[in-house]
Amino acid sequence: MKRIGIGKLIVLATTLVLVLTSCAAPQQTQTPTQTASPSATPTGKKLPDKIVVGCLEPLTGAHAIFGTEAKVGMEIAVKHINEAGGIQSLGGIPLELVSEDAGETADSAKLGAESIISKHHPVAILGLYISRMTVAASEVTEREKVILVADALVDSVTAMGRQYLFRPAPKASQHGVTAVEFVVQTATKAGQPVQKVAILNEDSSFGRSNAVGALQAALDNQLTVVYQKEYPYDIADVSSIVSEISAAKPDFVVHCPYFMDAILFAKTFREFNQIPKFIVGMGACGYTDPESIKALGDTANYYANTYSYNPAKNTAQNKKFVEDFKTKVGHIPTEAAGMNYYAMWVLKEALELSGKLFPDDPLNPDNLRQAFLKLDLTSGPAVDTYPTNHIAFTPTGDNPYARAVVMQVQNGEPKVVWPFDSAEAEPVYPRPDATY
Amino acid sequence: MKNLRIVSLLFLILLVLILPFFFRSNQYGMILLTTILLYGVLATAWNIIGGMAGQLDLAAGAYLGLGAFTTGTLLLRFNLTPWIGIFVGGLVAVLFAILVGLPLFRFKVKEVWYALSSSALVEVLRIAFIMWEKIGGPVERYLPNYGSALYMRFSSYIPYYYIMVILLFASLFVNYWISRSKLGYYLIALGDDEDAAEVLGVNVRSSKLKALVIYAFIVGLTGGVYACIYGFIHPNFFSSPLSTEVAILGIVGGMGITYGPLVGAVLLVSMRELLRANLGGQLESLYLVIYSVVLILIVLFRPRGITTLLQDTFNKLFSRWVRNNHAE
Repeated sequence: MKRIGIGKLIVLATTLVLVLTSCAAPQQTQTPTQTASPSATPTGKKLPDKIVVGCLEPLTGAHAIFGTEAKVGMEIAVKHINEAGGIQSLGGIPLELVSEDAGETADSAKLGAESIISKHHPVAILGLYISRMTVAASEVTEREKVILVADALVDSVTAMGRQYLFRPAPKASQHGVTAVEFVVQTATKAGQPVQKVAILNEDSSFGRSNAVGALQAALDNQLTVVYQKEYPYDIADVSSIVSEISAAKPDFVVHCPYFMDAILFAKTFREFNQIPKFIVGMGACGYTDPESIKALGDTANYYANTYSYNPAKNTAQNKKFVEDFKTKVGHIPTEAAGMNYYAMWVLKEALELSGKLFPDDPLNPDNLRQAFLKLDLTSGPAVDTYPTNHIAFTPTGDNPYARAVVMQVQNGEPKVVWPFDSAEAEPVYPRPDATY
Repeated sequence: MKNLRIVSLLFLILLVLILPFFFRSNQYGMILLTTILLYGVLATAWNIIGGMAGQLDLAAGAYLGLGAFTTGTLLLRFNLTPWIGIFVGGLVAVLFAILVGLPLFRFKVKEVWYALSSSALVEVLRIAFIMWEKIGGPVERYLPNYGSALYMRFSSYIPYYYIMVILLFASLFVNYWISRSKLGYYLIALGDDEDAAEVLGVNVRSSKLKALVIYAFIVGLTGGVYACIYGFIHPNFFSSPLSTEVAILGIVGGMGITYGPLVGAVLLVSMRELLRANLGGQLESLYLVIYSVVLILIVLFRPRGITTLLQDTFNKLFSRWVRNNHAE
């Protein structure tokens, strides 16, 4: 054991100060109101030449698959907004997106939030995707009064009493409700009403929230829950669960998987040749994502999943987004991309409204928050890409009119099959390969 | 010479105490400093079991999680202030360390087997706490009273920084004290060659257990503060990546050197954060590649730790100054 050389320790400590000072010093100290401005408020207050919006997503680690697509969705939205003339009520100020990696832990998320605010002073931040990271980062956005447009779907994210947090997308329990109601309606339409349901979910807060919604919907629809299981998200062998489901003989299975577990379940159902009449995923992460379809091949067919975004919505704005996304990434937008595309448009609408309601100080966070709360959108680009046709916010930050859509893999392609009035294909029900 | 040491030590303490004034209202700078110190405390505590006793412990996440959950649960259930809760958390971590340490050391589980066993503990606890709905469960539990000093839920990071400074000095002092005590000599001996130390009369089991208990207490205590900083508790606090990172900081910093793990934490955590903040948003994974390459280079060219490189450099730069001090 070597003893501390005190002289060396002093030099080390001084080095520490120098390293940290260079590391933590804000690289950009301009605030929106300090920047040179092409326009001004009626009272002469200068407006910035760009409105900075932060993208704080998990770009590395276990959740990077979602974060990177979310970032692309935001980039395309900013491009479209700026091409359409920026924020018109503020004299056409364009948006500027700045990105940081939020990592995969609470500490990296909080560091990311502090860092992006300290360096860029954004008026709003979009992202974080994972609920525990949203919890950690939202303490920072609340303190700094920065609007956080969250894409984490766990119900409790909007139950923390945050004032500056808004979530346009449907919350996780709504996905659970959607999954059950979709099957009930589809089965009734097919003349084969369902009575017994099995509910499965991975053991994260997201999985639990989805399952709670599904359970509630099952009770509301007077279904019997014949099997319920919460399993570790990194489960390596699902054969016993598949056998137990088979023994319970449900009419359909509602499942909130993560990613690898969805693939494992689908392959095991097929391998054991114990395939229920219908399997619907809730929470978008599982069966109908392009990566899942690629990994599953033919096995992906007939699996359905709820989605917070409708890639088949028949509007010019949505088609434009889908085309641009396909050109950039090579496949249709995933849920993470879609959610953040319309979230950016919602932010744009809030900025427009703030410019009209509070022309003297439209970028003031309290004014922008008021604008969010007063939004009542039934048309425009945000609604054109949203799963329903109505966007507004309750004081808790959720949209009471939010609803998920359902996609089903048919011939290797994900097709929107519910709600029926905006579906691009009829759902295939029951599965042609069902064994019981 | 003695006076110079006292003056130097006072200067060092003063420097650490005034560091927040360099950052003033820069909250990012303060949380970065706090995070670095947090990892510094964890790695310095790890040095007792990993550096001195030579046990590749990968269970820091287990003790940190226990401390966090104890502190958080006492606050949520009994409204007990974390100022007391963190110490109870430390004691719970100690109890757990005794429970697992007794059989592990009794049956001479060591080297890679000890590493695997300790690593498994973290995952076992994570799953157990997800299943234990009354205390854990899959949904985050938020800690209330944000902004309250009484409940250690500060809205500024400066108080957390000073709490970490206290924990760091305590950890360094414990390291230093152990290294000069009989226990320290026993630990270093058994860390070098356990069988030889036992033959020479060292009570290997008892010494290792003492080291594990001290390490667990410090990490458990830190876990309580960790929960307050981030504002919630969740079974993912039983984190295997965090456990591995603490061991990496200890190894790369310099095993067995009192301030080695701290130097490792300062350099590596700040470097990783510098890369993340500046490259992470544009070139996604590149910063992790750079970070990994630096780690590999250090391990290849400085297997005894980066602190030895700094020591050698400083020895060269300040050789005249050092000689003068020795001449006094």
